[in-house]
Amino acid sequence: MAGTAERMAQNQKQVAISEFFEKNKHFLGFDSLVRSLITAVKEAVDNSLDACEEARILPDIRVKVTKIDDKKDIIELQTEDNGPGIPKRSIEKVFGQLLFGSRFHAIRQSRGQQGIGITGVVMYSQLTTGRKTHVRSKIATETSAAVVDIGLDTRKNKATKTNEDREIWELPDGSLKEHGLEITCRMKAKYQRGRQSVYQYLRMTSIVNPHADITFEDPDGEIHHWPRVTERLPRKVESIKPHPHGIHLGTLQRMCTEATDNRMTSFLYKNFSGVSTRAAKELLEAAEIDEKAKPKSMKPEQYRALLEAFMGERLLNGKAVKLLNPPTNCLSPIEELLIKKGLSKTIDSRFVTTMTRSPTVTQGNPFQVEVGLIFGEGMAADKPVEVLRFANRVPLMYQQGGCLLTKAIESVDWRQYGLDQAGGRGVPKGPAAILVHLASTNVQFTSEAKEALADNEEVLDEVRKAMLEMGRGLRKHLEKKKKMAKTQEKFELVNDIIPAIAAKSASILGRPVPDLAGSITKIMGAVIAESETVWNKETKQTDVTITLFNYTSRARAYTLLAAWPEKDGAVMEGNANGGRKEATGVWAWKLDTLEPGQTFVLSYSLSGLEKGDWTDTDVFYRGSQEVIGATKMDEKLLEEIRRQESVLADEDDEAAAEEAEDEDDLEDGEDDVKNTVAEEAAENDDPKPTGQQTLMGYGSDA
Amino acid sequence: MMSASHTPEETKAALHNVVTEMYDKIVKGEPPTMTLPVRTKNNIGFDTKLGVYKYGKKRSIRDATSLGSAKQLLRALHVVEFIEEMIDARKSSTLREMYYISEGWGLGKFSSQNESNNLAEDLEVVTKCMREDFKLRPEEDGARIIGNLTLRELNRRGEWMRINARDDVGDSGYGVPYNVEEEKIELVEHDLNFIMAIETGGMFDRLIENGFDEAYKCGLVHLKGQPARSTRRILKRMSEEWDLPVVVFLDGDPWSFRIFASIAYGAIKTAHISEYLATPTATYLGITADDIEAYDLPNDDLSARDVEALKAELSDPRFADAWWQEQINMMLELGKKAEQQSLAKYGLDFVTDTYLPEKLAELGLA
Repeated sequence: MAGTAERMAQNQKQVAISEFFEKNKHFLGFDSLVRSLITAVKEAVDNSLDACEEARILPDIRVKVTKIDDKKDIIELQTEDNGPGIPKRSIEKVFGQLLFGSRFHAIRQSRGQQGIGITGVVMYSQLTTGRKTHVRSKIATETSAAVVDIGLDTRKNKATKTNEDREIWELPDGSLKEHGLEITCRMKAKYQRGRQSVYQYLRMTSIVNPHADITFEDPDGEIHHWPRVTERLPRKVESIKPHPHGIHLGTLQRMCTEATDNRMTSFLYKNFSGVSTRAAKELLEAAEIDEKAKPKSMKPEQYRALLEAFMGERLLNGKAVKLLNPPTNCLSPIEELLIKKGLSKTIDSRFVTTMTRSPTVTQGNPFQVEVGLIFGEGMAADKPVEVLRFANRVPLMYQQGGCLLTKAIESVDWRQYGLDQAGGRGVPKGPAAILVHLASTNVQFTSEAKEALADNEEVLDEVRKAMLEMGRGLRKHLEKKKKMAKTQEKFELVNDIIPAIAAKSASILGRPVPDLAGSITKIMGAVIAESETVWNKETKQTDVTITLFNYTSRARAYTLLAAWPEKDGAVMEGNANGGRKEATGVWAWKLDTLEPGQTFVLSYSLSGLEKGDWTDTDVFYRGSQEVIGATKMDEKLLEEIRRQESVLADEDDEAAAEEAEDEDDLEDGEDDVKNTVAEEAAENDDPKPTGQQTLMGYGSDA
Repeated sequence: MMSASHTPEETKAALHNVVTEMYDKIVKGEPPTMTLPVRTKNNIGFDTKLGVYKYGKKRSIRDATSLGSAKQLLRALHVVEFIEEMIDARKSSTLREMYYISEGWGLGKFSSQNESNNLAEDLEVVTKCMREDFKLRPEEDGARIIGNLTLRELNRRGEWMRINARDDVGDSGYGVPYNVEEEKIELVEHDLNFIMAIETGGMFDRLIENGFDEAYKCGLVHLKGQPARSTRRILKRMSEEWDLPVVVFLDGDPWSFRIFASIAYGAIKTAHISEYLATPTATYLGITADDIEAYDLPNDDLSARDVEALKAELSDPRFADAWWQEQINMMLELGKKAEQQSLAKYGLDFVTDTYLPEKLAELGLA
């Protein structure tokens, strides 16, 4: 048997790589002429974004698609970035070798989990047009750029280089390129517009990469530009070690045989995340393995026992061994404000709500869900909403129906939130777009095509929760809009029409203009709040004015509260009415008694924000009589926000304490490994907030 | 003969009552209001004394608690002011002109001409004046008349002109002006057996070309679709003052039934002045639902809107009698409608040689 297996392995190596490509092109993304081009763009752009992120450079990316031969479907693709460039000696490795670069054991969120990368593009070009891929690379430390044509020796799985040279890389404006990479290739492909197109791919990419500046020249010569909306690069992601909950037997065996550690305790502590020295000892005790045993000499049944201890199937003193969750600093969420900006730049609309859930863990893999919803003019009202799916900042463009993210959207009854949805199931209809982003160290797809996410209860649950909360935000927005329109009408009625009726009737009858106060109070019978939030170009501040009108026949006393983006670094200026902070992002003013017919105006400005960051101020009140245009303060909610603030503050303290403790624990005095995770839940009975709680989007299913 | 008109002073006083209602409400600290009869088919009833359908007792109060109705009140005030100005200046304007003049009324401006027409009617209803009293003219001109009848019309120079609608007119006949009250038109004499009102211009011209008016000694009136007020008013005057039967010859569809109802019983929109406009003795000649079958006329299927209109007519008090109920139900059953001109299937003379004589014979008019 062993002999057969070895022979088969030998045979496999000899299969021409081109044949392998041909057989597997459906999951490599080259199964149709249209998709091949998108895949090629995707591989190049993802590489550029990754390289820039790694080198902490704000990416400028240019993509150009030219039709060379319309009849034969020959297309030239050129991409250029301002990344660090590739040293000359590494070019053939990067472009010419399958599976180059992915480091074993390294677990982190990265874009490049798909396909065989840029090598696939080189190969596809060569197979369909016989042409080599032209690469121009400039690194900062050299004065000239390296140029080379890369092809593939498909039998040896090796790159071939021709026409190697160096040249001065001059930019169109005459200046010299500092650093960057340019790839030019020709392939059999088709350019198409629509939902699955290069345009859509780049548009989606720009939404989740708000730090990138992307320019696309389409075959008609039209230039599409998605500007950078933030100077902030995505957080640098840390690699993490595997977590015991996500490990398979084979991996465990391999890790043990390759281990350099002398004892199992230090092996577990150093090679896994979520395992403290105490936990390592407990795991071994549960698995009945000697602490001092050597990893290399583990027996098969011991692997199994250890795995059972990992999964909590083997107990110690009747309890499963407590493991910490893996650290989540390996995730790089886009974050709410940036999603908002990203969405707003590609879709013209009035209302955007976004939310980033707290990171959580499934099967030992940290993951985090982010969602965004944009609603309003400029989108078709009678069509299904646009679903924008992303995994680790990579747009997913195919197989929408079979994707977990779509299923999560479909599982929500959107009718209660103001969107149309036949039977309360399926993708809702309405002038809206919904964005879902899953950031994870291990994204599970339904198939090798890597276009749809596989079912996972915990992920589905997180996405659903986020959707429900956004839905509530949308409903509130729509209700508010309706109320505002009504209030606006009432204002027009009492401020303009009634006075005009009084004046005109008086003049026709030749009598004095009557006093209006009585009629107006009868018509309005309410206290009304109006808020205005406008960007002040001069001062670069956001000016907020809140006006309270008492159109009732009695004196009224209120406390007004307003939400403001304190979390996002805004500073309140010119707040002449004083007041006090009620919670983070909530300011309160106790007002003097408002007599019938009286009006009170309160104003302040917010600095530290950019235009478009804060466009609408939610006003709340405390007081007995309803205020139209404001929401009655939910004291329980306020209490909850305050409580969460204190929990979060406590956790920060604990995390610091824990870190110090861990360092003390280090046996061998090595400090190359750090577990900076808060020991949560175990010692802390306070439930951790499951998402960001805000006044307008409360993260419970209430 | 009753007169529809009011003196300028009466008109102004009536309008001032509307304004006073609003003014007094404000003085009392209430939202201003305007009270007016409900103008739907649910609030029209048969007035046995007048023999026509009039508005019932249902009143609606338009108060200024919503933006829409407050604007209506403001517009009403502007219209009142505008009418007073016209009365004082001895001018008149068309409804369309008033709509354009409202451009200058700021918040009180109309957003569609329909709105201004409706408001003028509201004021008529509330004040019991006619729009002629308001110096407001409709845009559409009245009907055309051909036949051996003579009337006198006061022309622009203030002279009475004597016109015979057979001998003194061209092919287009005598044009009915918008004001057909006694101060403008005097019915002098005729040599006719009956008056026939016709829906379409094509049929009107066919009857003239075939010499039907002479052969049957009848006055032909072209209604031009839904007849203008002046057309209905002059039909009524000819019927009353000359004691002539009026027969109505229309297409055979639900909309023609409504045209007939507005001629004979009064229109819902103008039920406040039905006694001036309606001719209760008018008879529906055709096309009837049974004509479609009896004459095997080329026809069209009823549209969804047609069916809806027919069903609405079933519950309209003006169509409550047995004959109309039968006709409407028959048309619904057939699912068909036919135009007057479909009679041409049997040749150009069929309508004058066969169809009309047969129908008139049923009525004892031929």
